Amino acid sequence: MHPDHVPVSRRRFLAGLGGGFGSLALGGMLSEDASAAHRPARARAVIQLFQNGGPSQMDLFDPKPELTRRNGQPHPEKVETFQLGNKNVLLGSPFQFSRHGQCGMELSELIPHLAGCADDFCLVRSMHTDNNNHPFALNTMQTGKVFNGRPAMGSWISYALGSECRNLPSYIVLRDPAGYNTSGKLVWSSGWLPAAHQGTEFSATGTPVAHLQPARPLPEAAQKSARDFLHDLNTLHLRQHPGEDVLEARIANYELAAHMQLEAARLLDLTGESAATRKLYGLDRPETAAYGARCLMARRLIEAGVRYVQVFPPLKPSFQPWDHHSGLKSGLQSICAQTDQPSAALIQDLKQRGLLEDVIVMWTGEFGRLPITEGADGRDHNRNAFSLLMAGGGFRGGHIHGATDDFGYKSVQDRVSVPDLHATILNQLGLDHTRLTYLHNGRPERLTDPEVTGARIVREILG
Amino acid sequence: MGSNHARNLDPGNALPKLALILAWLPAALRADGEDSIAFFESKIRPLLIEHCLECHSTDTKQKGGLLLDSRAGWETGGDNGPAVVPGDPAQSLLIKAVTWADKDLQMPPKRKLAESEIAALKEWVKRGASDPREKPALASAAAKPEQTKPDGRKHWAFQPPSNPPVPRVRASDRVRTPVDAFLLARLEKAGLGFSPEADRATFIRRATLDLTGLLPTPEAVAAFVNDPRRDAYERLIDDLLASPHYGERWGRHWLDAAGYVDGKIDNDLGTVIPHDGGWRYRDYVVQAFNDDLPFDRFLTEQIAGDELVDWRKAAAFTPEMLRLLTATGFLRTVDDHTDADQYGIEKRYDVLFEMMDQFSTSVLALTMECTRCHDHKYDPLTQRDYYSLMACFEPGYNVHEWKKPKDRFLADISPSQRKEIDAHNAPLDKQITELEKQVQAAQKAKDTAREKELTAQIEGLKSKRRRYDIIQALWDEGKARDSHVFVRGVVGRNGDPVAANAPAVLQSAENAFRLVPDAVGPTTGRRLALARWLTQPNHPLTARVMVNRIWHHHFGRGIVETVGNFGLGGTPPTHPELLDWLAGEFVRGGWSVKHLHRVILLSTAYRQSSRQDSPAAQTADPSNRLLWRMNLRTMDAEVVRDAILSASGSLNPKRGGPPVAITKPGHGLSEVDAAPGSAQRLIGPKTEIQLATGPGEEFRRSLYLFARRNYPLKFLEIFDAPLMAVNSTQRTSSANVLQSLALLHSAFLFDQAERMATRVQKSASAGDRAACITTAFTLALSRPPTAEEQKLAAAFLDRQQTAHGGKGPDTETKALADLCHMLLSSNGFIHID
Repeated sequence: MHPDHVPVSRRRFLAGLGGGFGSLALGGMLSEDASAAHRPARARAVIQLFQNGGPSQMDLFDPKPELTRRNGQPHPEKVETFQLGNKNVLLGSPFQFSRHGQCGMELSELIPHLAGCADDFCLVRSMHTDNNNHPFALNTMQTGKVFNGRPAMGSWISYALGSECRNLPSYIVLRDPAGYNTSGKLVWSSGWLPAAHQGTEFSATGTPVAHLQPARPLPEAAQKSARDFLHDLNTLHLRQHPGEDVLEARIANYELAAHMQLEAARLLDLTGESAATRKLYGLDRPETAAYGARCLMARRLIEAGVRYVQVFPPLKPSFQPWDHHSGLKSGLQSICAQTDQPSAALIQDLKQRGLLEDVIVMWTGEFGRLPITEGADGRDHNRNAFSLLMAGGGFRGGHIHGATDDFGYKSVQDRVSVPDLHATILNQLGLDHTRLTYLHNGRPERLTDPEVTGARIVREILG
Repeated sequence: MGSNHARNLDPGNALPKLALILAWLPAALRADGEDSIAFFESKIRPLLIEHCLECHSTDTKQKGGLLLDSRAGWETGGDNGPAVVPGDPAQSLLIKAVTWADKDLQMPPKRKLAESEIAALKEWVKRGASDPREKPALASAAAKPEQTKPDGRKHWAFQPPSNPPVPRVRASDRVRTPVDAFLLARLEKAGLGFSPEADRATFIRRATLDLTGLLPTPEAVAAFVNDPRRDAYERLIDDLLASPHYGERWGRHWLDAAGYVDGKIDNDLGTVIPHDGGWRYRDYVVQAFNDDLPFDRFLTEQIAGDELVDWRKAAAFTPEMLRLLTATGFLRTVDDHTDADQYGIEKRYDVLFEMMDQFSTSVLALTMECTRCHDHKYDPLTQRDYYSLMACFEPGYNVHEWKKPKDRFLADISPSQRKEIDAHNAPLDKQITELEKQVQAAQKAKDTAREKELTAQIEGLKSKRRRYDIIQALWDEGKARDSHVFVRGVVGRNGDPVAANAPAVLQSAENAFRLVPDAVGPTTGRRLALARWLTQPNHPLTARVMVNRIWHHHFGRGIVETVGNFGLGGTPPTHPELLDWLAGEFVRGGWSVKHLHRVILLSTAYRQSSRQDSPAAQTADPSNRLLWRMNLRTMDAEVVRDAILSASGSLNPKRGGPPVAITKPGHGLSEVDAAPGSAQRLIGPKTEIQLATGPGEEFRRSLYLFARRNYPLKFLEIFDAPLMAVNSTQRTSSANVLQSLALLHSAFLFDQAERMATRVQKSASAGDRAACITTAFTLALSRPPTAEEQKLAAAFLDRQQTAHGGKGPDTETKALADLCHMLLSSNGFIHID
């Protein structure tokens, strides 16, 4: 078909990335062999179940009998609040905790399905972060710092490792099609890293990728013939400009686009999944179907070789689904009913398929909540303590790391900062967080910036 | 951009500075046993950061003279001697202090550490107090610049530009402007020379896209290619510089640096808080470039336009007053969340901090954000410099007499006229508010007749209101207070007091910052002093930074590659003498930007072909730092869209005015929205903001589309339009698959290809396929097809007609539209040769 076809040279691309003119941001797109790991990797991919809004640690993961016992009494010290309308009065959890798994991890009745996976995840109870306002805390969780405009962890990972898949971008975002989280796409922005490393939004319903299909009906034969003509034009053009990596990259991208057009549609089609799998993720129930479909798609994308998938919870009843300033009890019941089963299903399904070995699943919000009462029955933001779950990819299943004070206000034992978490995740992917560097405006930037943040690998949470 | 954005996974390839930052790492590795270091890292370092360093680090108070941010700190100890005796907790003052054993030495003073923390400290001392921190990790107000950075002040960018002679070169026949002599001198030293010149069709496309951001018309191409006059190139460049589209293109570059947006806040997709009337600043910038407003004046107006005229007392604004006030919109582009009541004074300072980022990267090309909390790690810039510079702006953003963003504007009429109109409107507004309450009550009661009546009354009252338009300006407001250094950047933690000043390292006897008495009106004049200082002819940065920016936009790479960073962390200039000569020429030419374009664009260097035809040069200088050929460049996002519109003939050349809205669908795939009511759809039902609507408005230049901070038009975003977190001194250029998909599949491309096909059919005689192909190529690529391309295109049209269902006038048009579509998607189209 194309006698003049110019084979795409990956080495040339990588050379172009390093020293060429203009940053050829295709690394993540084509680099099935691009793995630039510093050391042997324990994991190859990450799924982030991003429970934004600030899940309440003392109602979900961190039982506080002393808090319950002293319900209604004042908190002994001044508490850092975010909103007005807080009373310095302790609010015990309305939920029961019980032990689960062989490890006997204490977890809340709100999450029976996740509790069933207690032996598979590590529970970190001693997280803390820098700011108690959503946008800044979201920035920290995603980019390591409070500022807008820095690259997300998924972008760093895409930049460092590329994709294992010819047909898909390396960093994919699955959100509720009804809208964005409170910081929108800032939480999957590539910042000043090349744009190819930003999260690419896939939709679990409708068209999965922007412009994936032609906006006007076009017979398949006409599409193919047009692409061939374009290839001919570009090949002739390249002959006039031999050695221009950017032109080769674009030619290759048109091929990737054609592959994606087919592949993304195939991935979107969940009908081939067994009835048992569909039931596992809750696709058979309206409550869990939408988030369940995103979790299931995440598994399919990871299977296909995508590096980093970021899944967002439902936007109903609130676009910050875990932000319970009021109506704590009913609010948590509602969001847990929608997310608990599919989140657990993903862990189980990956485990069944032998994928949990080298895929990290993280369940995390951006901060936690306060032990005192806001309004009548709510909890305000808390940057000093929150909990998260890390499963697979060499994280230590059935282990609890760190502890908060008697009321869950502050992490006091084996504290873990967000940059610590980032350093640990990078480590599992075979990346040295002190060496994963990108020169921006003359400054060698890193995700963890260890000299400033003190980031370190938390070995205790690894298996 | 190559090395600036280099992928760097291995410190072996990194700049030497990286080694400097990582200095403590090797120590960590070689220390006395991994375990004790791990113990320090996991238990002790976080504990010190959390509880001790606030008072005992080089950044801060150093209470009792004790530093705990490095090994040396506690070894030396404070007023009471060494703090730790390794191996002996009982003899260590630190342990004594944290156990609160001694009533006079209880640390931390307010709250005792937890028992587990005290135990950890004891354990650490007992094990020998391993501490890998050879120097303070959190840097250092106390670190003396002259000690740690001996060469900082000698950095080239902090010296006044030299006045280098134009060098002599062997290939003097290729020297058209002094630019060539400087470049050739370096090339000849490397045994190289310039490439042959590009043909005229290539040149006019290059120059037209560079200067106007639009494609040349086929007529302009033909006229230039066949122009026999000796000064054909000079005439072309003059014509392009005289085009009103010139200011639109070069205004866009400046607006990037300024961080211009039409939507003040949009952290999420759905909420748009408009920067009402902000577009006047955009139009001011465009006009300034078109008028070739001298750059020193341009800067002065933007920084202190309000201090140049006594607008406060004017009975009516003169056009010049309006212009000068509008210019200060430069200082009003940053995010401001203070309309919301929940925020305290920190949020006010955030506005100042962001403005400092914008100002320092755009005008000074220095990254000063780090000096907010500590002295700069590379550059001889101190925290004191930061807060002194900020003091220039503080009377304008007076945190003590704060104006919320919704109140921070001037009217386009004088204060006295505004007062009169406000007085006229106040009672009307009161009545309207009252009636609106009644409407709600009527709605609740389902009394539609009453509701209708009330609504009519409201409309009547509204029609009696008089209105004025808004200028987003900055002016000194209220009483100027003393400014202080904030210790570790923490708002309200006052350190030394500071006066308004410029960074010390940038000043010399001839170029000192002086508070000048020529500010007009009741204003501090601090910003005017800053502008006067910046625009002195021998300022080390101002002219250099701007000529480098211009060079960057013509050659795709600056002489200093890091356009927004001239500090020690930036890249050194590839041609320092050329940079200085250009800076001098810029000032000698009366700071005329257009003069500088001529000097650059009429050079042989700019005329070169972009082909990599010289194997010797390719080997010696593969990344073309010496400019032995022209660089092949990718169009900027706006240029892609505007060029498509100009090829199809749809472009609406209307200039200026309120922006055209874009949509904000939940799936994020925004489009231009020029239909009536777009303001309500974009901003909300009650908005009174004016946006451009109507037929043809959707085909305005991209500059005039509503600029959102984080959600620009999706098509532009895909082509790397920057997000304006603050501003953008240098865009990323990527080649990613979303661009390919957008070109192949977006409705915009299908529509424009169809329009282009219609245009082609109209211009060629009916049925003359070869002529159609030639026209289509000329419209898209500014050149006719080669014989091979002509043949391929003809075969494609045949094939495509069959694919669309066989011969016929309808399928002929469809096939031609597909041809146009592929031309607009081709590499030859979106790259500048």
